[in-house]
Amino acid sequence: MIGIVSYGAYIPKYRIKPSQIAHAWGRDASEVENSLGVYEKAVASVDEDAITLSIESAYKALINGNIDPKNIGAITIGSESHPYAVKPSSTIVAGILGMGNDYLAADLEFACKAGTAGIQLMSGLVQSGKAKYVLAIGSDVAQSKPSDVLEYTAGSASAAFILGKKNIIAKLIDFTSFSSDTPDFWRKDNEKFPSHAGRFTGEPAYFAHVIGASEALLKKINLKPSNFKYAVFHMPNAKFPKTVSKKLGFSKEQMEPGFVVPYIGNPYSGSSMVGLAATLDIAKPKDKIFVCSYGSGAGADAFVFEVTPEIKAYQKSMKDTVTSQIKNKEYIDYSLIAKNILTKYRI
Amino acid sequence: MKIKIKGTGITKFGELWSQSLESLASDAALDAIKDSGLEKNQIEAVYVANMIYGKTANQDQLGALIASNLGIKGASLRVEAACASGGLAVHLATQAIMAQSYKNVLVVGVEKMTDVGISEITSALMGAGSESERKAGLTFPGLYALMAKSHMAKYGTTKKHLAAVSVKNHYHASMNEKAQFPFEITEEKALNSPEICSPFTLFDASPITDGAAAVILSSDLTSGSTNNVYITGSAVASDTVDLAARDSLLELRATKEASVKALKQAGVEIKDIDIAEVHDCFTIAEILAMEDLGFCKKGEGGDFIKKGITRLGGKMPVNTSGGLKACGHPVAATGLKQIIEIADQIRGRAGKRQAEGINCGLAHNVGGSGATVVVHIIQS
Amino acid sequence: MTKPAEIWREHKKLHSYLGKQGKLLVWTKILVAPVGFEHQTPYFVGIVILDGERMPVQIVDADEKQLKPNQKVEVVIRKIGKAKSEDVIEYGIKVKPI
Repeated sequence: MIGIVSYGAYIPKYRIKPSQIAHAWGRDASEVENSLGVYEKAVASVDEDAITLSIESAYKALINGNIDPKNIGAITIGSESHPYAVKPSSTIVAGILGMGNDYLAADLEFACKAGTAGIQLMSGLVQSGKAKYVLAIGSDVAQSKPSDVLEYTAGSASAAFILGKKNIIAKLIDFTSFSSDTPDFWRKDNEKFPSHAGRFTGEPAYFAHVIGASEALLKKINLKPSNFKYAVFHMPNAKFPKTVSKKLGFSKEQMEPGFVVPYIGNPYSGSSMVGLAATLDIAKPKDKIFVCSYGSGAGADAFVFEVTPEIKAYQKSMKDTVTSQIKNKEYIDYSLIAKNILTKYRI
Repeated sequence: MKIKIKGTGITKFGELWSQSLESLASDAALDAIKDSGLEKNQIEAVYVANMIYGKTANQDQLGALIASNLGIKGASLRVEAACASGGLAVHLATQAIMAQSYKNVLVVGVEKMTDVGISEITSALMGAGSESERKAGLTFPGLYALMAKSHMAKYGTTKKHLAAVSVKNHYHASMNEKAQFPFEITEEKALNSPEICSPFTLFDASPITDGAAAVILSSDLTSGSTNNVYITGSAVASDTVDLAARDSLLELRATKEASVKALKQAGVEIKDIDIAEVHDCFTIAEILAMEDLGFCKKGEGGDFIKKGITRLGGKMPVNTSGGLKACGHPVAATGLKQIIEIADQIRGRAGKRQAEGINCGLAHNVGGSGATVVVHIIQS
Repeated sequence: MTKPAEIWREHKKLHSYLGKQGKLLVWTKILVAPVGFEHQTPYFVGIVILDGERMPVQIVDADEKQLKPNQKVEVVIRKIGKAKSEDVIEYGIKVKPI
């Protein structure tokens, strides 16, 4: 049985409220806050990017699990904001983490589910004994067109999970993936900002795939939502995950510990992974956790984890829970957003 | 050591849009040659001091370039030690003369800084620091700001002490028609000007300046004229380029070492110094110089200046040229300018800012945050 | 400005600094920046001591009020300066107060 051996999450310290963004564009924030359910979002500094965010969460995963980086046999980083179009983020991160040379690295892109795709892809390497540990990271630095509604939710964060066979804190019971060619949200290579298809991003996109993957997995392992202690869904805003969990038969209480979107916004590839980290921060042995991420374009990765007794010792010694990072914040105004846009897009 | 300063020449310092580096160097050099009474063919070597031109204009081999512009054949070279380039070039010339390699050497310090933008200049000047300082975005003012903060924390030096340096040097510059800023300022103006780098305001920093200054040094002590002024001590000392690697942020050890060596060579003591030109790239640097050169005790530099001892009319005027702050700081020309100011004071040519009874002066030229220091003793 | 081979050498040193803690000896706030740092102003730079080694570093995620002499700091890896569009990105050591 393979599973999660350790994990880490990183949420940048700066936060901006929708009212500050609305103020920059001469709009009213309260309507936005109500419809999207985001009170504030995490904003990365001008000198942060998906690579530096990955280093933060992956380093924590290594320390928390007391794992020698040289024993990691494969690394994937899933992101929509890889700093290079050609030059892998994963080797830069691997080099700085001290992973040596004997590893497989690949950068992944699948909108917001690129991080979880790595977990599914690399699980086989551990299962077959080809790798002792594998490191899957989901990391993004918000991208949204200034003045577009996406600006209120696009956030920054990363989460890293190390999978292995020994000393696992959560067994990876099973997983499925549900994919189709659905153009709900996209960004062509030379474009600065992503585009989206408005209301088309709902039913035929997010809901169809999350429900497709979740129902398929539940059927496959013959379990019901009530068998689970917790559930984490991809959180593009507060409404979609609440609606889909209700449709599937999960409750608000199950989603609660992993429901980070009101406080950090949507960190794309980091969203469901940070939600899972937050859930593991407080989960108890034998708890079953249901996770379903969603990536535009489109696809959904569903997982079932079961927490082991090892989690107790892990929670005692681990550093920087998601909750503590959510609390460690400083409010900023639109000026940092503007600086980030200038820096990233060389305007 | 006794080397004659046979001639001097200096251009106006400032934003000299219509002057190129080469025209500035030629102007200063030709004035020095004229002052010396020598023929061009009597000059055997041309030493050119310059810091940033290679970077900003991609022009190297400045020694040969400027010598040939002047029509001088013979040896030529370029010297660089950041802001100590000028003093170092003079030092090298003294050594060559003492070794009897040359009888007459023309030393020109020249800098053209206003052709490029402020960001580029800030970057170019950071060449005086270390790579780790550049990566940290630690600018040249930043380095001295760290020293100022340390001095303020340890000795209670205040922003008013810093402003006093600026006010005094502007007062001196108001009597120097070659100065970039020939006007007085008030303490209030200095304190309220825009912050550039805590705790420094704009008036704590020397400006960006174009200019050139030249001297002719000669082993011929006899050939008469009114300019009986000699270099009797010339010493250089080094320290780490990296400020973080220094033993102390409260002093420039290289200043202490170079000063001791130069005074010994000249056979004088610090109390024999009538006048000094010190390296006030930032106001704190003048305070440190008073202490490190030995004019006052460590930590008392601020008060020493505030008392007025170093103001024209006081016991030992410092920076009657206006210093780097008010006369301007065309980097590699400064070391030459300092020596020329002292020579003029000894020769009685300092016009409205002439001090009385000047026979022995000290010039103090620093590279970067103190990695190279050159001290000269000049006497009648 | 950036040289790929030089960055390659420098990146290899970063691993040994991960997780290091130290203290801030002295700092300043830079308002006039050199090329590549303009977008970061105002920013803080200081001299820190990490495991006995003194070095100049940028201080990030800091509020001016937080910065005192002997302030405890921790190493973070961030982008250095601003790479031109055709250049390789340089990552390096900065510190944040803890």
